[in-house]
Amino acid sequence: MRLATTALALMLSAPCAAQTASQPLPEEAIPSVVTLPASYPPSWILVHDLHTASILDGRMVIADTADKSRPLKGMVRAAQFASSLYSPSRREILTAETFYPRLTRGERTDAITIWDTATLRPKGEIILPGGKRQQSVTYSGLFQLTNSDRWALVANFTPTQSITVVDLDARKVLNEIDLPGCSHIYPTGERGFSSFCADGSMISITLDDKGAVASSKTIEGVQDIDKQPMFQMPAMIGKTAWFVTYHGQLKAFDLSGQVAKPLDVNLSVGAAEGGAPEWRPAGWQVIASDAKGRLYVLMNPAGKEGSHKDGGSEVWVIDPASGERLSRISLPNGATSIVLTREPTPHLVAARMDGPIDVLDAATGKLVHSLGSRIASNPTVLTPGS
Amino acid sequence: MTMSGLDKLTEGFSRHLARTTSRRSSLAWLGAALAGAVAVPALPVSRAAAAEPKRAARVAEDPGDPTSCDYWRYCAIDGFLCSCCGGSVSTCPPGTEMSPITWIGTCTNPSDGRAYVISYNDCCGTSSCGQCSCHRSEGDRPQVRPQSNNDYNWCLGTESSIYHCSAAAIIGVAIEP
Repeated sequence: MRLATTALALMLSAPCAAQTASQPLPEEAIPSVVTLPASYPPSWILVHDLHTASILDGRMVIADTADKSRPLKGMVRAAQFASSLYSPSRREILTAETFYPRLTRGERTDAITIWDTATLRPKGEIILPGGKRQQSVTYSGLFQLTNSDRWALVANFTPTQSITVVDLDARKVLNEIDLPGCSHIYPTGERGFSSFCADGSMISITLDDKGAVASSKTIEGVQDIDKQPMFQMPAMIGKTAWFVTYHGQLKAFDLSGQVAKPLDVNLSVGAAEGGAPEWRPAGWQVIASDAKGRLYVLMNPAGKEGSHKDGGSEVWVIDPASGERLSRISLPNGATSIVLTREPTPHLVAARMDGPIDVLDAATGKLVHSLGSRIASNPTVLTPGS
Repeated sequence: MTMSGLDKLTEGFSRHLARTTSRRSSLAWLGAALAGAVAVPALPVSRAAAAEPKRAARVAEDPGDPTSCDYWRYCAIDGFLCSCCGGSVSTCPPGTEMSPITWIGTCTNPSDGRAYVISYNDCCGTSSCGQCSCHRSEGDRPQVRPQSNNDYNWCLGTESSIYHCSAAAIIGVAIEP
């Protein structure tokens, strides 16, 4: 017992001796809150976290893919199957969300919140009338910008389909456009958008300065929804949207003019040995582009009917200009969503819907580091930070 | 990625099942859509509600574990299984409200070989159940075809759009196209 008491006294006295031998730690100014750079560095990405364990508390996370020790830099709220948008030119993150005053019950309010990229604090709000905002697993095509980023377009689904046009600068709703049978928003021209429709066509709509339809044009037969459906989120190369189909065909639409123009490309991701039964694209955000205009497609060797959301074990890199497949990148932990950073030497970010995020060298295909699940619970859509 | 990792991702994608959405189910969805989000008088919900759950008596004809993602009716489901959340394969857990508007799958019952039209009714008004997450997409098509897409939150026409879990009720035998 005496021995134990002596040992305890030694333990207690040792730190005291150390303190007297050096200066105490300085006092720290509080309260203190970190601020981010208003324009995010090229290694940063934005990760939409659906947060399936509590979907009403989803998030949009800002992360530095080059920071292995502390990749998570901040987050904003993205509640209840939110849609999120990042506008570097506005230096804003936008979320379109749904709220109930008693968390799960009460009168529904839909709203766009405008978040400052530096402070991550809300700086504006626009109420969306009618409680009709489309809620679904995160898609980029449900919330988009047009009119030089001054306006936002929000998809509605009740299941009646329509698009709400919002003036972000004036903080007001301009109009609602009925869009029966058509879904998702692909900004087209200076002030307008295109959508895919249930009969396999595409519609392009231009808007007047009040947000009303100025003109519309249907482009027939752009998609065989039964046999060759397209994944709904494209990779953009300039103003051209590149889609990949469930079977690996590549389709391109020039969205620079007032009417979407299907490009005459006869490209596919190609085939490979070892598929059982065959390699097919699979995942959530399955196609991405880099700053040099190469396409990256997430591939699964067990491709069959119903496998299209399973995620992939490889990324195939395609040069759409030559049609050549440049490389196959093996993903050590698989992925459901991919994106390329805009660094001089781009990195391939590979996220799995159940959390883990890996960072690979896009040129060599080598793993740079695994960031684990320290950024998001359920990463869905990834957006380059610059 | 290792194959075991892939297996984990793919969960229950082992069977190749019939998937064609029948004309009947498409019309059912269209009818619900036309009726609007609030006044939904007929189609999937009333059938699901009227159906007496008699699985216990006919388990040999309706084989499998409804708390497992492999269960045949879940061929196009995406969400938390109500069977793990206090409900059952065709009933919502207490405190929730069943969505009257649904998406549709066509799944083959391994016992009788028939293709059944399955109505995946979301249960709404309580936060995410969080149990038995199950994702299968046989016959799933892009959102442009809503009745065949499992990515929507189908808590539509309910008092609250908060998603809790998904049930999988038989609403008929599929008519071959």
